[in-house]
Amino acid sequence: MEKIAEYIKKGRPDAWRTELRKSKKAKERTSIERVKMPEQDPAIRATNSLEVNLGLTEDMAVLEATRCLDCPEPTCTIGCPVGIDIPHFIKKIESHDFLGAAKVIKQTNALPAVCGRVCPQEKQCELQCFYNQKLKKPAVAIGNLERFAADYERNSGKMSIPEIAESNGIKVAVVGSGPAGLAAAGDLAKFGYDVTVFEALHEIGGVLKYGIPEFRLPNEIVDVEIENMRKMGVKFRTDFIVGKTASFEDLRAEGYQAFFVGSGAGLPRFMNIPGENYNGIFSSNEYLTRVNLMKASSEEYDTPVLKGKNVAVIGGGNTAMDSVRTAKRLGAERAMIVYRRSIQEMPARVEEVHHAQEEGVEFLNLHNPIEYFADENGRVNKMRVQKMELGEPDASGRRRPVPIEGSEFDIDVDLVIVAVGVSPNPIVPSSLKDLEMTGWGTIVVDKETMQSSIPDIFAGGDIVRGGATVILAMGDGRKAAAGINKYIQEKVKAN
Amino acid sequence: MADLSTKYMGLELRNPVVVASSGLTDSVEDIVKLDQNGAGAVVLKSIFEEQILLEAEHDLKKMKEDSFAYDEYSETLDYIDVHIKEKEVTKYIELIKGAKSKTTIPVIASINAVTALEWTSFAKQIEQAGADAIELNIFVMPFDTDKECNENERVYYDILKKVKEKVSIPVAVKLSPYFSNLGKVLLNLEKEGADALVLFNRFAAPDIDVENIKVTHADIFSTKQEMYNVLRWMGIMSNKLNADLAATTGIHTGEDVVKMLLAGAKVVQVSSTLYKHGIEYLSTMLNDIHNWMDRKGFLYIDQFRGKLAHKADDNNNVYERMQFMRYFSDIK
Repeated sequence: MEKIAEYIKKGRPDAWRTELRKSKKAKERTSIERVKMPEQDPAIRATNSLEVNLGLTEDMAVLEATRCLDCPEPTCTIGCPVGIDIPHFIKKIESHDFLGAAKVIKQTNALPAVCGRVCPQEKQCELQCFYNQKLKKPAVAIGNLERFAADYERNSGKMSIPEIAESNGIKVAVVGSGPAGLAAAGDLAKFGYDVTVFEALHEIGGVLKYGIPEFRLPNEIVDVEIENMRKMGVKFRTDFIVGKTASFEDLRAEGYQAFFVGSGAGLPRFMNIPGENYNGIFSSNEYLTRVNLMKASSEEYDTPVLKGKNVAVIGGGNTAMDSVRTAKRLGAERAMIVYRRSIQEMPARVEEVHHAQEEGVEFLNLHNPIEYFADENGRVNKMRVQKMELGEPDASGRRRPVPIEGSEFDIDVDLVIVAVGVSPNPIVPSSLKDLEMTGWGTIVVDKETMQSSIPDIFAGGDIVRGGATVILAMGDGRKAAAGINKYIQEKVKAN
Repeated sequence: MADLSTKYMGLELRNPVVVASSGLTDSVEDIVKLDQNGAGAVVLKSIFEEQILLEAEHDLKKMKEDSFAYDEYSETLDYIDVHIKEKEVTKYIELIKGAKSKTTIPVIASINAVTALEWTSFAKQIEQAGADAIELNIFVMPFDTDKECNENERVYYDILKKVKEKVSIPVAVKLSPYFSNLGKVLLNLEKEGADALVLFNRFAAPDIDVENIKVTHADIFSTKQEMYNVLRWMGIMSNKLNADLAATTGIHTGEDVVKMLLAGAKVVQVSSTLYKHGIEYLSTMLNDIHNWMDRKGFLYIDQFRGKLAHKADDNNNVYERMQFMRYFSDIK
């Protein structure tokens, strides 16, 4: 088992925590039911783009925080890729010090309001929670509490700015403003560097903005976190493609001493089946980017997205769920998930699948599209699917879907969104011929320092992992910031 | 000098020596060399349905090692086999396009299929990429003892039928001799629309290394001895089929080519001999055919093609004799 960091154990004996722990018996705490997150009614929310989860009230948060036993060996922290001092912030909530709780989280997590919303806690901290592991009861709702603390702080107008070291004037560039880039930028600013984040699009936030819909993560929340980073001294340059607008060489000439590349996996993938080029068939990237970032759902804007009555979304990941729920909100009468494995194998979060089901999304599991057909204008109007069954397990341990011969049938569709995964963005790698890459198009890095084969270039997030979660990307960004700090300090010493 | 040109599935070939689907035909560079050395046509290295799946497994494992520990499956990993297939298909399409743009000889694409499912749709992309024909390399391993023989045979017909529905370029079927009624299967394939039949597929075989006491692979190259079963069926079937026949396996010399043509083959496919003697050996084989034709006074191939094929009224049919019996009993 991984070790629990010393700083997490250090605060436990503090007088206030000891007193708080003793104020209630463990049995009293464990007998409290997990507080349910209030949600918008499914019938209503399927017609608007407001957030589905409404957030805990103060009373709810305190009650939920009371469940936490403040364990001597807080296993929950092992499951956190950015090493949040979980029991510390939860106990702050229990003691009604909500701003204090936010401050604890922000020591190691630059985007708590984001993580509280989109992290798969059920597979990370909450999976490791004592309740889950030993008591076989629902885990403490760590994610909901994190979100509560972050939202409380934001709404209080008293957002804390992390402590920042004195400026050292050394310029560091961050390529990409997604979760990896923002986490790296935050930590680099704390170390005292002069950080500039270069973003290819016109909006800061990367996948947090273009990929995750409003109803799951409002853009406003991301903006507040970004504003906070500006206050920390981080500079942002939008519409700037590193590798095209300017090369790494140009930036070096401008005085940048190191680079963090977090350019993500924004290259859509398709299935390469007949008819996939017809109008009305989008990649999930394009569909979500246009709706989330370019207001394409509004007819008043220049590039409205096609709306469908019968919408099929191909895939079973979070992106597929985001796409199908977006389509539903844009008026689809029939919004379908077409997934070739069974619901048990879906990579999407259980919560997202559940929400989609509640909103009336139809699930065609064990179905796979094999061909598309179009009307005389080239607009898709039909999709041929084949039924699948589960065969032998593959290398991932999941049973491989095998087509059932003769099971093909057609479904009327007027919009298809292909959400079968993404590839790493090729722009940075293609502009650096000495950069060592994997056969899969990801950048090879040292796993401790995140340094690439080019010494002043570090990388993390999807450009290294090929496809991962926000929090893993942030963990990479933080590691890389430490790696860059070490690299620059050694270089400074050597000179 | 004799004219070696021939037609195969309606395609004009400058000679009947086709380079079989193999490692020799998996790069544009090599295909150009084969063209320069006189190949009549090339059958590209097969794109394998099974191989794609294996590759997906391999990549999945490698990605997990290369990348950091995944605590959840991403969409990319979930569809990795689809992506690998796409990658392989794209590579194959590029090979076809490259071969077509850099040579003037017919380029026959090869699909190794084990099912008549989604894979057959790939045929359309092959056609669009400019391939002159498709060779379907089919083998159903008959390990399922619950299945009747005709159910296994049906897979061959289904694959062919589905591919024929998708494309208008000619389609050949390459198959093994392992059928309880091979002749009937060949006739059925012809009925289902096969433009050519390629006799026979040669399989990788197991061997045992007795020193190290482990199972290994047998020699991957064919031997001359393997040619005779092909010759037998070529002789038996060439007059019974309207579809073109291609002979392959064990054909190593110009003389072997002549034998197959005499038995009724439209073309022969070679590879082992080119591995052994180099690509340049193609011109030696072609020279030998020329010389033989000149010696025998043949001006073009159709003058002797099928001359020794089995005919219905032929009472003394050596092709059909399997057991030695009296035929060799005189030999002391």
